Amino acid sequence: MKLLDVEIAENKMIANGIYLLSFESEYLANAFKPGNFVNILVEKDSIYPLLRRPFSISFVKENKVFIGYKVVGRGTQILSQKKKGDTINVLGPLGNSFLVDRFDGKVAVVGGGVGIFPLLSLCHELKKARNEVDVFLGFRSRSDLFFVEEFKEVSDNLFISTDDGSIGYKGNAVEVFKTKIEEENYKVAFSCGPKPMLSALKSLNLTFKCYISLEEKMACGIGACLCCSIKGKDGNMLHVCSDGPVFDIMEVEI
Amino acid sequence: MLEVEISGVKLKNPIIAASGTFGFGREFSRLIDLNLFGGISTKGITLKKRAGNPQPRLCEVYGGIINSVGLENPGVEAFIKEELPFLRRFDTKIIANINGFNKEEFIELAKILSPFVDMIEVNLSCPNVKEGGMIFGKDPNRVYEITREVKKVSSCPIIVKLTPNVTDITELAKAAEKAGADAISLINTISAMAIDIETRRPLIKMVTGGLSGPAIKPIAVRMVYECFQKVNIPIIGMGGIMNYKDAIEFFLAGATAIQIGTVNFVNPNAVSEIKEGIENYLKDHGFESVKDLVGNIII
Ligand SMILES: Cc1cc2nc3c(=O)[nH]c(=O)nc-3n(C[C@H](O)[C@H](O)[C@H](O)COP(=O)(O)OP(=O)(O)OC[C@H]3O[C@@H](n4cnc5c(N)ncnc54)[C@H](O)[C@@H]3O)c2cc1C
Ligand SMILES: Cc1cc2nc3c(=O)[nH]c(=O)nc-3n(C[C@H](O)[C@H](O)[C@H](O)COP(=O)(O)O)c2cc1C
Ligand code: FES
Repeated sequence: MKLLDVEIAENKMIANGIYLLSFESEYLANAFKPGNFVNILVEKDSIYPLLRRPFSISFVKENKVFIGYKVVGRGTQILSQKKKGDTINVLGPLGNSFLVDRFDGKVAVVGGGVGIFPLLSLCHELKKARNEVDVFLGFRSRSDLFFVEEFKEVSDNLFISTDDGSIGYKGNAVEVFKTKIEEENYKVAFSCGPKPMLSALKSLNLTFKCYISLEEKMACGIGACLCCSIKGKDGNMLHVCSDGPVFDIMEVEI
Repeated sequence: MLEVEISGVKLKNPIIAASGTFGFGREFSRLIDLNLFGGISTKGITLKKRAGNPQPRLCEVYGGIINSVGLENPGVEAFIKEELPFLRRFDTKIIANINGFNKEEFIELAKILSPFVDMIEVNLSCPNVKEGGMIFGKDPNRVYEITREVKKVSSCPIIVKLTPNVTDITELAKAAEKAGADAISLINTISAMAIDIETRRPLIKMVTGGLSGPAIKPIAVRMVYECFQKVNIPIIGMGGIMNYKDAIEFFLAGATAIQIGTVNFVNPNAVSEIKEGIENYLKDHGFESVKDLVGNIII
């Protein structure tokens, strides 16, 4: 974990309100594991926004770090206006990572909305470990699609769904995943997405392991402020920023 | 130049990490040198382990954040066994921030902890718990009573941390002084609230929480100034300090030392920047020591 000033290499819109930002950092690119995130100070000496903003590292390529994000409020709005050559301060890599192994059977990866961002590098690593990977991605609508070509390259089967049915299956990614569980012998599932999606996943009572990446409002990102605490299954407090963001779905209350 | 003294405890510089914003130091030690701090006030400790409040516990507002962590902590025994030995490795004073739900708990905590730490900060001001905390801290009589009892059983200096959520904070300061407090620290967070106009729900699960950050600084400076007029014990000032200039304001208003909280989340390097800034300010303005600044406002 380091505090770094980095120079933006590129920051471009890749879909409706969705941006991809990249910068050069040999340290981060080497230290990074799928699931890690960074805390970005979008504006120095700013009081609004005041706090850093957490974003997953979507993937790294050589010494370049790529971060996909959606504009939702003031912080991401300001970030979206940054240009090549502008400097931002980045704290990372933070949090734990997804368990990547060679699983003896198929692997399912289920993502919804901005939860899709951390899953790309995960799929890449899963393929590298010679797994067969089925990917289920859910978007709101056709105009919101991103990373589709990239996911095609790192998956064996890619299932796209949209809430409005404008492309792919009509419905969400968990519904599509559910229809495949019986026919496929999945050994493990990985997921990231909005809370309702993750609780739908939990209620499927999967017979295999399922790891999810969670989000919670964060102040410090390193386990010091206790703002991002969630309950574990035994009532113990877990911290999304430092014990997570990746958890075994059975070990946390969602 | 930077050394200050609080009731015989020498701080090599006047910068203290504020309770609740710095955990037990471990997390930040991976990022910055804890030796940079004159002192570290630990996350609020209770007798028993506490889970704290439900999510969401945090929201951001203009110039600040509202939190309702609710004193999540591992309890005093785990603190002494698992956290204190680590903290003790650094050349910085350790201040245990304690929280009771009744007078007896405060006394018990002070008894257990005072042999192990350099100072105790009695938190009579947490806005995020239903019993104890701010409820006691708003009443000068209770402040007097608890301070006196804690003082009796403690072998180390006692700092009483005051709440700003009262009409006249100097009443609390005077009560603490009269009861024998070695110092007071102020301010804890200001009771606050924010609403999401789309969902029409409060942004904090507990509805209200404590506001910290730059938004509260002018209020905090005023309160330090007012207390400085009324008491003779050292004041540790805090609330929205983001840089050395903010820190200087607190010294001029009457603070002997300062605590930095919210800024740690934004800029973990704040401590070294503020330290250097204070040093340069002293040199540039011909002061020999921080002590020369304390209360040195020109009205
Ligand atoms: C571990 C982690 C990884 C994330 N990865 C990504 C990613 O790869 N791409 C992406 O687009 N988004 C990601 N998010 C969500 C992203 O952090 C928020 O969308 C962003 O902080 C919103 O900031 P804002 O100022 O635009 O919004 P505002 O609504 O103005 O923000 C207000 C406050 O809420 C906080 N906040 C708002 N939404 C979230 C959220 N979902 N999680 C945590 N804090 C939030 C902000 O940090 C800020 O303090 C991630 C969140 C977490 C916790
Ligand atoms: C997340 C958070 C947790 C806090 N927890 C405690 C605590 O346990 N005990 C305490 O005395 N003060 C606690 N505080 C208050 C701070 O110590 C400090 O008084 C306040 O934040 C004002 O300073 P600042 O504006 O520099 O943050 C907490 C503040 C924050 C932001
Ligand atoms: S964000 Fe501070 S503990 Fe997780």
